[in-house]
This record gives sequence, structure tokens and C-alpha cells, in this order.
Amino acid sequence: MTTLSNDKPTAISIRNVSQRYGEAGSSGAVVALQDISLDIRQGEFLCLLGPSGCGKSTLLNIVGGLFSATEGQVKVGDKIVKGPLPADISFVFQESTLYPWYTIRENFDVAFKFQRVPRNEWKERTASALQAVGMSSFIDHFPNQLSVGMRQRVNLARGIALKTDIILMDEPFAALDEQTRMVLGEDLSELLAATKKTIVFVTHSLAEAVFLSDRIVVMTARPGRIKTIVEVNEPHPRSPDFMLQPRFSELRNELYALLRDEIRQAIATTGGSVRPSGD
Amino acid sequence: MSALAAKAGSETPPRMTYASRVVWTRRGVIAAIAVFFEIYGRTFADPNLFSPPSTIVAALFQKVFAEERIRDAIWITFMEVSVAYVMSVVFGLAAGLLVGWTRPGRHAVYPIILLLYSIPQVILLPLFVLIFGIGPAVKIAFGFTHGIFPIMVNVIAGMRNVSPLLLSGSRSLGASSIDVARHVYFPHMVPSLFAGLRLAMTLTLLGVILGELYVSTTGIGYYTKLFAERLDPAPLFALISVLAFMAILLNEVVRVAERKFTRWKR
Ligand SMILES: Nc1ncnc2c1ncn2[C@@H]1O[C@H](COP(=O)(O)OP(=O)(O)OP(=O)(O)O)[C@@H](O)[C@H]1O
Ligand SMILES: [Mg+2]
Repeated sequence: MTTLSNDKPTAISIRNVSQRYGEAGSSGAVVALQDISLDIRQGEFLCLLGPSGCGKSTLLNIVGGLFSATEGQVKVGDKIVKGPLPADISFVFQESTLYPWYTIRENFDVAFKFQRVPRNEWKERTASALQAVGMSSFIDHFPNQLSVGMRQRVNLARGIALKTDIILMDEPFAALDEQTRMVLGEDLSELLAATKKTIVFVTHSLAEAVFLSDRIVVMTARPGRIKTIVEVNEPHPRSPDFMLQPRFSELRNELYALLRDEIRQAIATTGGSVRPSGD
Repeated sequence: MSALAAKAGSETPPRMTYASRVVWTRRGVIAAIAVFFEIYGRTFADPNLFSPPSTIVAALFQKVFAEERIRDAIWITFMEVSVAYVMSVVFGLAAGLLVGWTRPGRHAVYPIILLLYSIPQVILLPLFVLIFGIGPAVKIAFGFTHGIFPIMVNVIAGMRNVSPLLLSGSRSLGASSIDVARHVYFPHMVPSLFAGLRLAMTLTLLGVILGELYVSTTGIGYYTKLFAERLDPAPLFALISVLAFMAILLNEVVRVAERKFTRWKR
């Protein structure tokens, strides 16, 4: 049983982070994030919620050191983030980042190799992580031989097997069916209670946010700012009963009310245009 | 009741599997072609230009394999093709990786390579003869310049469109640029490389044979020309079969390697 208190040490501190894409003043310039400051506590499950295109993924990538912010700084522990910190932070993205040319086992091995995990731990870590998501029997399959949902479970298992203190998850369950999402959500809640990991989680599902989070950061439409932070005072691990309590739906409705205006605004400003693609 | 029994009875002779039906159909087609040409060769064909398959097989042993000079010629062609091919693979892969590795490299140099690739090289053969003389060197060089282009082109093409997500994923795991090259770019490129290797095999063979037809005093190309000029079609066709067999053999080597290295594609 872990109840979160405000005096927990800070795991990630985000200070005045702004992110602009494109040259300042040019017609293509997009301000994705504006002056974000946030302290994420150790062992906390923090959810980022906001309209599409408000900069949630951008913020997560900046925290993980995949690129640096145009302004501001992020600290993990007492390290200033300047690039990826594979020993401290692992990522789970929306789509699986398993290499299609390696089997599940080889995928884990390569990840361990990159992260410089001692070789004698590989086998045991792979086995227990796969066991946790019920994918043990697929260890010698190639990712293409699995369904999208199975792939994402393996992807999640790999994130867990890396045993970093911090896991950043960008809509990890978006490709899964609702039942699997709920089951994996429960597993995640248990994992959190057992290992005290710090998790930053991006989702569009209000129920998922309430069910999993200690705190929910609600963001405004672009340029993304922090609109408000909602606390969920409920110890981990959480059982499905939590969803039946009146408090659950109250929180859910509160979040929806907060988001509705932002989403309308997001739709109005983009005029329903599609975001530019990566390459 | 009786209907059920009849049905069960009719199942006893097992039907041919799909795979064996394919094999037998293929054999049937080959046999039909052989029979057709046997009859055509013995009846209507001009014996100066065409021989029935039975005569060709006889010529293969009596006129081709029996002659030491021709045995040597086959061996020489085989060696020239092999050397030219290995050189194409090594240099084509190296050059392709070098150019394909960076985005500016791809954008700046790839179009130049594509342009050169589209020039029919046969126009350069007289120049090659001036440079390399008429020995094996000219044939190897000509096979090499034929083989290297499809490999370079396919290696470079194979290094485009690597998923940005896999790249960020690798970086977040702590992969160095060497790691990314080895575990992301290279495996991503392999299927395309094999498409290039197959094409390069055909083109290397073409380059070497063109060299032998044009200059040279030995090799399969030289003797086919000789037999054609002597209006002796049986050993000519026998030699062509030898060349075809060589192509199949080399292609099979590539295919086995491909199966081994692209397991994940199936
Ligand atoms: N590489 C890029 N180049 C230019 N603009 C970008 C780039 N990546 C993101 N953006 C812009 O930054 C804004 C925020 O993008 P981001 O992906 O962070 O949003 P998000 O909140 O994760 O959205 P979603 O919920 O749809 O995933 C978007 O408006 C997008 O157009
Ligand atoms: Mg996103």
C-alpha cells in the first residue's frame, strides 16, 4: 500500500520548458509548448491529458532527452537532461518499437546490450517480463507473427525488463482493445505499487487516466500549457472496484469538463487540418 | 447411413497435395516442350540452325565436355563471373552503404548513380578493350561494372524510409550510431540488397559473356560464337545449357543466403 505524499523527493523537474518547431516568426513556426514547469515525484504515476496536438508527446520526448527544448531545462535526479538517459529512463511508444528483423528474445537481448545490462541477467529478465504480460510462449516469434495487441504487450514487457526507475509511456495502450487495456492497466498499477517506479503516461482515455494516475496534468490546446492538475487520492494497487465508486465518475466528469473547451478550441484553430508528417 | 459409408469410402485415396501438383505440372510442361522440339528438330527444322534435344545432349558429352579446350573455357568463364561478382558485391555494398548512410549523401549522389546505371554499357566495351587488353581482365572488369550498379542502387534505396519510431526507440535505449547502423539501417536494407544481388548476378553474367563475344579467344561466349559461325547448332545449344546451368547454380547460392538472412520476412 503506497499513499503518495507531497514530501516525496522529486524524480523529474521540468523548468520553464518551451518548444517551438520551425524558425521563429516564419509562417511554418508552431509553438508546441509554452513555459511548462512541473515537478514529478518519485514513485508517482503522472498522466498527461490534453487535446490532440497540444504537445504531450513533445514534452515526453524532451523529458526523455530525445531532443532538447528550445527553452528551459529538465533535470532527472540531479542530472540535467542533454540526451537519452538509458540507465534512468525507458520509453514505451504508441506503436511497438520492436525490431521486425529480430525475434522477441533477440529484441530483448539487443535492448539489454544497448543499455549495457550484464549478459548473465538477460535470460532471467526476459523470461520474467514476458511472463508478466503473458507472452512467454512467443519468445521465439518474430514481431510480425504477433497481433498488434500482443506486440504492444511485448513492447511494454521490454520497457519493464529494462528496470529503469522512470518509464515514459506515450499512449502505450492506444492500439489495444478495451478489455486488454483494463487488464494491463491493473497490472501496471500493481507493478507500480511493487516497484515504486515513476511513470509518466500520455493517454486520451479519461477512465484510464483516473484509474491509473496519482496526478493528472490537464493541458491546454496549442500552445500547450498546464491548465490544472487533478489529484487522485487512491492507493496503488487499484482494483477494478475503484471504477464503481462515485468518486471515480466524479473525477472523470471533472476531467471531461476541463477538456471539452480545450478540444473545441483545438479543433477551431487547426480547422481540422492534419498535422505534418515526420519525414 | 449408407450415404455416410459411401462418403467415408470415397475419402480413402488421398488427393495430391498442392505442392506435388505444382511439381508434376511443371515437369509435364518441360517434357511437352522437349517432345515438341524433338519432333520439330527431326522433321521441319534447318539442321544448320537447330538440333533436337537428344542430339544436343549427345553433343554436350561428345563435343563439349570431351574437348579439353572447351572444358577449360567453361571453367574460365565460371571463374571470371565469380571474381567479377564477388568484386561487385564487396564494392557495391561498401559504396552503397557509404552513400546511403547520410541523408545528404542519398539526396546528392543517388541521382548520379541512377543516371550512370541507365547508360547501356555495351557502348563502352571498345574502350574497355583498349584499357584492359583481351585477356580475362577485360571480361572481369566488364562483368564488374555491370554487377556493381544494381547492388549500389538497391543498397541505397534500402536505407531510405527507416521508421523514425525505431530510430527514436533505439536512441532511447542508449544505442550509439554504430549500433543504429548495425541493428536498424543494415537489417532494414537487407531485403532490398538481395533484390540487387539477384539482378547483379544476371548482369555480371551478361557483362562477361558480352566481353567474350566481342573480344577474347576462350570462354563460353567465344565458343558459342565459333559454333554459330560453323553452323554447328548441337554443341552451340549444349554450351547455352551449360551457361544456363551456371546461372541457375549461382542464383541458387544467392537464394539460400536470402532465405537465411530474411527469416523475418516470412
Ligand atoms: N517534428 C515536428 N515538426 C514540426 N511540428 C511538429 C513536429 N512534431 C510535432 N509538431 C507539432 O507540435 C504540436 C504538438 O505535437 P505532439 O505530437 O507533441 O502533440 P500530442 O499532444 O502528442 O498530440 P496527440 O495527442 O495527437 O499525440 C503539433 O501541433 C504538431 O503539429
Ligand atoms: Mg502524441
